[in-house]
Amino acid sequence: MKEANEVTTPFSSNNVRLSGREWIVAVVLCSALLCLGQSLWGHIEKFDPGTDYRLPYELGNDYWLYSRYCRWACSKYDTLVVGDSVVWGHYVSSDNTLSHYFNQQAGRECFANLGVDGFHPAALGGLLKYYGRAITGKKVIIQFNPLWMTSLKHDLQTAKEFHFNHPKLVPQFFPKIPCYKDSFSKRFSAAVERYIPFFSWTSHLRIVYFENMALPNWTLEHPYRNPLGAVTLKLPVSDNNLQENVSWMEKGIAQENFQWVIPAQSLQWRFFRQTIELLRARNNAVFVVVGPFNEHMLKPDSYKTYQKIKSEIETWLRRNNIAYCVPDVLPSKLYRDASHPLGPGYAMLAEQLFENESFKLTILNESGD
Amino acid sequence: MLFHTWPFALFFLVFYPAYLILKGTRFRLPFLLVSSYFFYACFNPLYLILIGYSTLVDYTVVQRMAKSSRRKTWLSVSMVNNIALLGFFKYAGFVTDNVNALLSSLHISYALPEPGFLLPVGISFYVFQSMSYTIDYYRGKMEREKSLIAYAAFVSLFPRLVAGPIERAKNLLPQLHKTPKVTTQDVADGLSLFVVGMFKKVALADYLSLYVDNIYAAPGQYQSPALILATFLFCWQIYFDFSGYTDMARGIARMMGFDLMLNFNNPYLSTSLGEFWGRWHISLSSWFKDYVYIPLGGNRRGTFNTYRNMFLTMVISGLWHGAAWTFVIWGAVHALGRFVTRELERTPFYREKVPKLIKQLIVFTFVTFAWIFFRAESIGDAWLIITRIFSSGWANPYCPVWALIMVFSVWLYQFVYESRFRWIFDLAPVRIGLIVAMILYLIMFAPSSDQGFIYLQF
Repeated sequence: MKEANEVTTPFSSNNVRLSGREWIVAVVLCSALLCLGQSLWGHIEKFDPGTDYRLPYELGNDYWLYSRYCRWACSKYDTLVVGDSVVWGHYVSSDNTLSHYFNQQAGRECFANLGVDGFHPAALGGLLKYYGRAITGKKVIIQFNPLWMTSLKHDLQTAKEFHFNHPKLVPQFFPKIPCYKDSFSKRFSAAVERYIPFFSWTSHLRIVYFENMALPNWTLEHPYRNPLGAVTLKLPVSDNNLQENVSWMEKGIAQENFQWVIPAQSLQWRFFRQTIELLRARNNAVFVVVGPFNEHMLKPDSYKTYQKIKSEIETWLRRNNIAYCVPDVLPSKLYRDASHPLGPGYAMLAEQLFENESFKLTILNESGD
Repeated sequence: MLFHTWPFALFFLVFYPAYLILKGTRFRLPFLLVSSYFFYACFNPLYLILIGYSTLVDYTVVQRMAKSSRRKTWLSVSMVNNIALLGFFKYAGFVTDNVNALLSSLHISYALPEPGFLLPVGISFYVFQSMSYTIDYYRGKMEREKSLIAYAAFVSLFPRLVAGPIERAKNLLPQLHKTPKVTTQDVADGLSLFVVGMFKKVALADYLSLYVDNIYAAPGQYQSPALILATFLFCWQIYFDFSGYTDMARGIARMMGFDLMLNFNNPYLSTSLGEFWGRWHISLSSWFKDYVYIPLGGNRRGTFNTYRNMFLTMVISGLWHGAAWTFVIWGAVHALGRFVTRELERTPFYREKVPKLIKQLIVFTFVTFAWIFFRAESIGDAWLIITRIFSSGWANPYCPVWALIMVFSVWLYQFVYESRFRWIFDLAPVRIGLIVAMILYLIMFAPSSDQGFIYLQF
């Protein structure tokens, strides 16, 4: 039959037909071009983070750039400050962040801001696991924001689908995240992307040069522009304009009665613990900062529950010999909302931490300060 | 589970090594059948009841035909059963809508209830394939298939199950019975076909659909250039979508050691509509020719009957594509086009003096025009598009130049491929370069796509 078909069935209506050997050449060429492409890209595209650098908000999805920034920060700084928008400094300029005030306290540039705006513990864990491999043998300050336990929704535990940030970074299959209901195809694709670096590089190109759109979608928005012309080789600069000096009270935010998820049942706390274990397994000296949550914003019942939660978290950290600090709550006027301090709040927090014995021992003494 | 998605990649990664191990054993056909049914059940497990029923009826009919003198009766059972299946699942909604519209126009307050079920994926393809088996057996063109498992595997073979090609039993069944030889070249060919198909689908068809869908969703808001370009791009979108699917299906089958028929052969280079239908969806066109056009009398009984047969065949073909009047009109328009080009071809002037390129452009323009009826949501929309093409203004169409560059590059490739410069594409660096370029483009620039294939809805 086969012999007969070789004569009767035309191969195709084109001539794109390779032999086995030619396929090997093609695969080697593709792999080489992709590997070379992304490593050469690091040399072609200028990346010169200055003082108080933080990843621009619009590049929060650019995990390839985060990885690159991690490598750069690890080579230049003693201590890396890791966390969500509290570390990143959502309501303050880059020279009013926690890492900035750490550097001010230290009298030199030795703390790098590796916080990312829009992250939560589940995503942060994935980010550090897959794209923060450079963080080994360093001192790491990681902040836990109790905001992620203030409701089932924040804790990703609603049965109803909820679209949270950075779904590609969370565990795709196990443990199960109740509100995450993407198709199997999308989850599998996300799981594969983590292990194949050039996927994150192509995402980088898309995010930086094509307004976070796939090329086809971008050409629809800019039908007459040359896609190659869009590749300017210039990264967006870290924005310095986000500044709000208005406290939560002045904003008219009322006290709240949060429906806290206790640590034993919290997914976000579980992911955070895994992140600490990961960082320690990579020989990092880890220091955890819990909060400081805006306790002024809590109604009495909620306040009581929070104190219990705080104490359980402390107990776990102590039992596991993890250096930590639960800073005193900042004055009410130094908070912008439930978890974000304003500029002077960060300054005060840095001062507090520099006074903390455990901090001195883990972060400062070992750095020789 | 579409070919260009991760679930299929996973399925194939599990299936293929097992298949290579089992292909030389007596477990080959049962394994193929179970895998194909699993593949189909991934769309909806209930579909298995339908394909199982269809398979069982046609298998039994042929067994009975072999032992009975009332062969025609058994053939009728098969025909009625298959047409009833299609009619019930594919056309019930269409009939209901039309009956209700008629009742309403007669001011009768009664309305038939909507059927409320979805068209099972691939039913149009496997029902036709199964019908071809019973008809060919009735005509004495092939042997009776004794094994139910082999017959079920023939109907359900997963690479071609949901959107063809509509294989003839006499081509595929003998292949299923022999132990397939899978050579390195088969795997290489399969990969080549698959990559080209995936590029057509993901990088081209899905891309063009972004522009086309916007325009066709609200044709009243766009002017002539946008409507012309959207129709032009849809012409290529549907080609890339369906021929891309077929390439992938043929590639997968080739890796398994099966040869499926060529379904598309650069149809937009046709110089006549007759030729177009010999190059477009070849497995369906030849099915209609063999089982509808020729039984109706073909071109044997004079010009009028020839054109009547052609018209009926084209209209039925249109209706096969979808249960809507737009498809019927599309078929009718093609039939009219065939009359005209057939008559033109009979004149020495057209045949000998008109340059090939002009003929190709005429056919392409006509086919593109006809696609308006195929793509429009309703006859009203189709008419609106046609009138606006000729009567609206010339506002900026905002059509991506990149899309046009890609389409014209493919068109140019096809022209060169069918010219005396074809040797350029025989050069290994060119072939390898094209594959590398397609893979890189897919990895780097194509969006991750779960978009279905247009022909899955037929």
